[in-house]
Amino acid sequence: MSIYFKLVKALIASVEPTSEEKKYKKIFYRIMGIIAVFGIMLPMAFLVGIIIYVLTTQLLKIGSGQNAAEMFLQIVSVFSFVFGLNVIFNIFYFSGDIENLLPLPLKPYQIIGSKFTAALISESIMEFIIIIAVFAGYIIAAGLPFYTWLIAVFGMITLPILPLSYCAVICMLVMLVTSFIKNKDTVNKITGFLTFIIILGLALIVSRSGGIDTDHLVTALADPNNLLLSILNLIFPHIHFIVNSMISNTAINLLYYIGINALAIAIFMIIAQAIYFDTAAGVSKSLVSKTKSLQKSVSSVKGHNPCVSYLKKEFRILFRTPAYFMNCILINLIWPLFLYLIYVLQGKTNFLDSFIYGIHNGNEENVLIFILGVSAVSVLVTAANSIASSSFTREGNHFAFVKYIPLSYISQINIKALISIIISGTGMIIYVIAASLYLNIGIKLMIFCCIISLISVTFVSYFGIFMDSVNPKLIWDSELNALRGNYNIFFNMATAILLEAITCAGAYLAFKFTDIGSLIIIIILFIFLMMLTAGSYLLCRFKAVSNIDKLSI
Amino acid sequence: MIKFENVTKVYNKTVRAIDDISFNVKGGEIVGFIGPNGSGKTTTMKLLTGIIKADVGKITVNGFNIRRNPIKAKESIGYIADSPDMFLRLKGIEFLDLIGDIYHVPTEKRRERIEKFASRFDLNDSLSAPIMSYSHGMRQKIMVIAALLHNPPVWILDEPMVGLDPKSAYELKQMMREHANEGNAVFFSTHVLEVAEKLCDRVIIIKKGHLLFDGTLEKLESENKNGSLEEIFLELTEK
Repeated sequence: MSIYFKLVKALIASVEPTSEEKKYKKIFYRIMGIIAVFGIMLPMAFLVGIIIYVLTTQLLKIGSGQNAAEMFLQIVSVFSFVFGLNVIFNIFYFSGDIENLLPLPLKPYQIIGSKFTAALISESIMEFIIIIAVFAGYIIAAGLPFYTWLIAVFGMITLPILPLSYCAVICMLVMLVTSFIKNKDTVNKITGFLTFIIILGLALIVSRSGGIDTDHLVTALADPNNLLLSILNLIFPHIHFIVNSMISNTAINLLYYIGINALAIAIFMIIAQAIYFDTAAGVSKSLVSKTKSLQKSVSSVKGHNPCVSYLKKEFRILFRTPAYFMNCILINLIWPLFLYLIYVLQGKTNFLDSFIYGIHNGNEENVLIFILGVSAVSVLVTAANSIASSSFTREGNHFAFVKYIPLSYISQINIKALISIIISGTGMIIYVIAASLYLNIGIKLMIFCCIISLISVTFVSYFGIFMDSVNPKLIWDSELNALRGNYNIFFNMATAILLEAITCAGAYLAFKFTDIGSLIIIIILFIFLMMLTAGSYLLCRFKAVSNIDKLSI
Repeated sequence: MIKFENVTKVYNKTVRAIDDISFNVKGGEIVGFIGPNGSGKTTTMKLLTGIIKADVGKITVNGFNIRRNPIKAKESIGYIADSPDMFLRLKGIEFLDLIGDIYHVPTEKRRERIEKFASRFDLNDSLSAPIMSYSHGMRQKIMVIAALLHNPPVWILDEPMVGLDPKSAYELKQMMREHANEGNAVFFSTHVLEVAEKLCDRVIIIKKGHLLFDGTLEKLESENKNGSLEEIFLELTEK
């Protein structure tokens, strides 16, 4: 057992920044941490808690008090499963520690058990906060006794076990059935597309179920024939038992909950014991490729401008590295599915339809909301794909290359920003054009929205690079670890979202509560976004360049 | 070619990794940089290439100050880092092409040099494969080719022999000699005293950031008449 705990400790330490890195910018991390906790995590948890409290209060009147909490926890489990798939795959098979762990006299279940626990702890912090917020809303609304808080804390830590166990079993089985594929990068990419297909499938199931009628959400949640709830209860049966254990006077529900989790762990441990060594052996050495003659290789050499060549290098690394491809590129394809889900979930309320109708009829408020939405989504997508905010981090142990080549730091920063602008901006412009055509908003407004989108993307790209330059996470053993546990990515997202939220809220409130016309507000918004972009560029031009110059490696 | 004048580097305001060191390397010279682990060899290499900043002192490469004119100074350097695990997702030929572009090597010259060096290192058919699929030695060879691609007046190598097979190590030593014979400066760190003995025109010995010796091997032997280079090195560094 002590081996297991030591392994877990070592594996978590490999994801977290080193104490030296933390010490380096203590004040910076403290400020960013406060912004992240008070600006995003707590407000989000509070919002979730309030929603559950209100819904539970209504549901209690018709005798289905636990349904809101159950439904929310099941949605959390779905997200845990979808995003955990890629993480578990990389941790089990593609992290740099595998070559060191496999030769040690350890049993497969010891390696897998510790890797699984480390993943559970380091991946689920935000999830833990949401889960405890759901339980808090439920306990307060239902006026449950004190001991239910203990169940809530237990549930907070153990709830993601089942979805992550599904991920673990699927990963091992995929590796077993694809053992004939020698290039494991291909397998890794296939899993990424599998995730994409699962999300697509979920969107289709939800759309076929007719969505949740938000107008009558309480009635829908109380309905015993709710298809979505029934399917999710079948996939994640443990949630029903832990929520029930809070209101029943016996321990039987809690025992069922523990039993389901124990069974899940036992099944995946047995599978790990049987096949992990066979499937993991040789993975990191299995990259094979066709070779060409020297003359053929040399003939492909062509002179380019150094910046063009550097840009190509960045593209190649992003597209060829499965962890980057999945987390930085593919995410740009996934987010429209979430928008589609929101559209489907509007149900019979048709609030989006009335919004669209308003835009068709030139409603100024709706047009302003659409423009603000374009800017907000552009900021969110650029921050979430972390292309910019992991620019220097991705260089890892060869960061010195940035410093010893004869290419100025600002040129390299501009190229790194350009990569983020091209990838995030291209996706955004395609979706903005598609949405504009669908909404029939006219060519002028469409072009304006594209420009607003590009400015927003550029602002976050430069800002992300600046944030990464403060203290890039250069010590990691696998590319996924460059992104996981990377505070720079999270802090960049928190700050960018906060700035954008203030901007959008300011613009909307000015429209709503002053006599300023929408056109003037849009012009002010444009100028303000330009100023933010110029500000983030100047931060890079002076501060990021100086940060990189000072960085001792 | 290399002027290192009264340079000091302090880490975390406490550890003096390099303490007031001065030395020169002239064109046509091969200078070996020797010292025990943690003596400051890699720090010196990083200071020379502009990877880290000196706290005190002046560093000039090929007449360009590394702080005031960094781009020109860096263009004059061919550098091999202590780890060749770099850009593993790129193919060997793509990495060399990138280096060729960054150092402005004309396409024809680039092709000619890649062919010549790849043949000498037996990398003929491997250039089209990703660097990730290379062995440690092959990665080191690619780094050597990259560092020589722009025919730099100053060649700085940090532990270049690590991981090379005997034939490749021999080829590298030949290349270093040829490069120096063309009037260029070669400055390299090593733990292998035999290599220093056979290859270097001059050696610099460093310990805990302090320079212990700077001169020819003959001078070192005449000053310390107690046996082999290995014994002299141990006596100097363990005092």
